[in-house]
Amino acid sequence: MNNTIRELRAERGWSQAYLADQLAVSRQTVNAIETGRYDPSLPLAFAIAQLFDKTIETIFTP
Amino acid sequence: MRTRTEPKYSAGECKAATRYLRELFGSIAIYIALLVPSVTYGPAMEAGPLKTLALICPIVGFLLMIWAVARQVGRMDEYQRVVMLETFALAAAVTAAVTFTYGFMENAGYPRMTMFAVWGVMGSAWLVIGLFRRWKMDR
Repeated sequence: MNNTIRELRAERGWSQAYLADQLAVSRQTVNAIETGRYDPSLPLAFAIAQLFDKTIETIFTP
Repeated sequence: MRTRTEPKYSAGECKAATRYLRELFGSIAIYIALLVPSVTYGPAMEAGPLKTLALICPIVGFLLMIWAVARQVGRMDEYQRVVMLETFALAAAVTAAVTFTYGFMENAGYPRMTMFAVWGVMGSAWLVIGLFRRWKMDR
């Protein structure tokens, strides 16, 4: 699954570590999601969408 | 890909790691503190419940280690748990392959090895696979 997390994060000037802290996950997890190696669970996807003030479908695309 | 200026670990991760190391090494310290008098004085004691208690009391430290590991697993996020499970599965497969192979070699006359070696193989395989996967992910 593709996502725009890297772009959204860059727009805000956030580091992966900062985003990881906001989502209460590890930096490694943020990196894995950004690079498409891991698709997050629904609760984590909702948390990401909420943090960026977007809907899930605008961030994640099949 | 992560830029060079970014920290490798988030603040939450560092906090969790510090807590885990404190709990784990605390339990190991308790284990050693109980083990030394247990193996020093335990065998010479008169047979009975007190001797049994003295010999098995280091298990308290071991139970605390299990508790520390369980707490750390609880602190992990979903991706870390998946990675850990995959690494553990691979390490178990490697351990099975090594111990079975050596078991057949024992049948052919090689020296018999203690069961303690199994955890050594498992731990080593876990460490090597874990480090390799971490290296691949960080590339």
